[in-house]
Amino acid sequence: MRHRRKGIDSLPPTVAAFILVPFLLEAAIVFGPAIQGVLLSFTEWRGVGSPKAVGLANFRELADDPIFNVAFKNTLRWLVVFGGLSGLLGLSLALFLKAQRRGVAVYRSLIFLPVIFSLVVTALVWRVLYAPDGLFNNALQAAGLKSWGHIWLAEPHTVLYALVVASLWRSSGYIMVLFLAGLKSIDPALTEAARVDGANRWQLFRSITMPQLRGVTSVVLSVIIIDALRSFDIVYALTKGGPYNSSQLLSTFMFQTAFATGRLGYASAIAVVVFLLAVTFIVLYLVRALREDPR
Amino acid sequence: MNIDPTMNTEAEPESSSHIGRRSFLLGAAAMALLASSPAAVLAATKKPAKGKKPAKISGTIALQSNNADDKSKKGMEALVAAFNAKKTGTVKLNTVAGELYRTQLTQYLTSSKPPEVLTWLAGKAAQNYADQGLLLDISDVWASPEMAGYSSALKGLSTSTDGKQIFVPIYYYWCGVYYRPSKFAEWGVKPPKTWDEYKTLCKTLLDKGVTPIGMGLSDTPWVASFWFDYLNLRVNGAKFHRDVLSGKKSFNSPEVKAVFAKWQEMLPYMDKQAKGLAFAEAQTKFYKGETATYVAGNWWALGAPKDVGDDIDFFQFPIIDPKVPVAEEAPADGFFASAKGSNAALTKAFMRFLATPAAQELYLTTAGNSSIPAAPGAKAAVTAQNTKGKAMLEAAADLTQFFNRDGGDELQPTADAALLKFMDKPGDVDAIMAEWQAAAVSARKA
Repeated sequence: MRHRRKGIDSLPPTVAAFILVPFLLEAAIVFGPAIQGVLLSFTEWRGVGSPKAVGLANFRELADDPIFNVAFKNTLRWLVVFGGLSGLLGLSLALFLKAQRRGVAVYRSLIFLPVIFSLVVTALVWRVLYAPDGLFNNALQAAGLKSWGHIWLAEPHTVLYALVVASLWRSSGYIMVLFLAGLKSIDPALTEAARVDGANRWQLFRSITMPQLRGVTSVVLSVIIIDALRSFDIVYALTKGGPYNSSQLLSTFMFQTAFATGRLGYASAIAVVVFLLAVTFIVLYLVRALREDPR
Repeated sequence: MNIDPTMNTEAEPESSSHIGRRSFLLGAAAMALLASSPAAVLAATKKPAKGKKPAKISGTIALQSNNADDKSKKGMEALVAAFNAKKTGTVKLNTVAGELYRTQLTQYLTSSKPPEVLTWLAGKAAQNYADQGLLLDISDVWASPEMAGYSSALKGLSTSTDGKQIFVPIYYYWCGVYYRPSKFAEWGVKPPKTWDEYKTLCKTLLDKGVTPIGMGLSDTPWVASFWFDYLNLRVNGAKFHRDVLSGKKSFNSPEVKAVFAKWQEMLPYMDKQAKGLAFAEAQTKFYKGETATYVAGNWWALGAPKDVGDDIDFFQFPIIDPKVPVAEEAPADGFFASAKGSNAALTKAFMRFLATPAAQELYLTTAGNSSIPAAPGAKAAVTAQNTKGKAMLEAAADLTQFFNRDGGDELQPTADAALLKFMDKPGDVDAIMAEWQAAAVSARKA
């Protein structure tokens, strides 16, 4: 007894090691570089020699940089359109495919399938579909709607949405699986009781399903926000932010600034903005979640 | 892992030729004092390279190459095999696909253990890296007998702003307007010489349902810079072109506006799909005769299937203003070495090898590359085009390279954005020029 109590007061070395070692590792490979990145954003640096301190000049330049403005707006647009649609699509698919019918597993697997493809392969497939003589334009032409055709990935007003569609194809299957898991955990007795009380489908959805899904919804929300802010691969593989920067996201613009233009200080300033954006959304979400859940 | 062998090689010459070198250096210093003419100093600095020869060069160096297509890769492999067979040391070839290489080059050079030798472009594209202290000074390679007869133009392109040689060119090539003679015969048209003839040709072709000018910009937007370069050379001349690329003149200027005005005359004849086509897709359209002309370098014909390849020719980019001295684009390709490389002795030995006629002939023949070798004694894989291209370059009053080679790699994305936007919205030309100038100023910031 005495021993045990003592053990609680002073941490046994094994336990201390289990806390300290991961903390030090995390500090060395995550916090350290992150702080360094923030510091770099106040400098002008080409990757060689020592960085030159320039104060807030990078951020002031960002405010006037037309490409940054496009990238910032695109990122917000991406967050709303991609985030909203993948949540909506994922939920609808889950509701649609939740019943245990014959062959439903096949549909579920088919919709989930894109998740397991390599992103580069996904991008290649979509590139072919979006090509000037690709499937979409040919289908429109066959339907007599040739004038609706576009060079999807090279026109400033279509490119971002073309990219969103390609990303949705991939992400909605994943969101669907999350929601399916949530739907499974709803007690059938609740639904049954509501039905006996004469609730229609919409009432069932509003008053039973959605509140019961709250836990999953919060997970989905954070997954979507993180996914949207770090979206890079599909854009980079399909357009590299083009044509003339009209599909630039903060992530791709940051990459271009750092590794094509070679301005690491300026790129770090962009990274800081992305970080702040992510933190804002996460804090907003946490505040809401804590308020709703007194536990 | 190959730190050990390199450490040995660095140590070896020190210990084995210690006395020899010291007395030699004393002698050289005395000579320099006696005859303090620059020539004598040159001679003295030249000699240690020879003096080192008996001391063993060995070890392993890495060669990073962007020559990724099948034939060029075979050429590089042959080059490396030939050098390794000489048992001077081992060169390991690492090939990276072109576009990836372009975006990662800065990372290669700034990494803590960079590849020793890298393929790249002469001119500003190399000088920029030298200005940042990333490249090995190989002035002694240029002073070696292998490079004695190299043209001063090539030497200039291989020299950094502070006067050191940092690049070994192995070949240069011409650019022009490519077309298929058999198709031209079928359409009953002839290659144009002047701008007006070119416009008439385009109109005729368009009426026949052929797209007069092809381009593929979705994965290689820099192809559009061929048009900017040539129009600027033809309208404003080489001096202005270099000045605007180096930042002495502005992209937001009446001269550049004149360039866009000429370009606008051609816009109706350019492939409307260009911005959505990948390089290879545009190439296929040209091979199939769906597009008639294509402004490119001599590599344009190299990737063609055999039957088409023999049916590709080029004409000089048409003259717009006869008063402007004719300038041509003649990009030089070659190698530079990383300043932080682990084995300078072997690196330089390899670069001297690359400078020899034998090495360049071996590469160009194996790669099936029609470019003109940089070494004066070397023979090109002679084709009719090759002779024509060389003659065109020799007749030119001035030579430039290519947008990113003259302006620096960091400037290329600004051109890509501006030129593609112009092709989409020619009406916004004033705003586009202002944006371009601002982007160029920002990109040049060190």
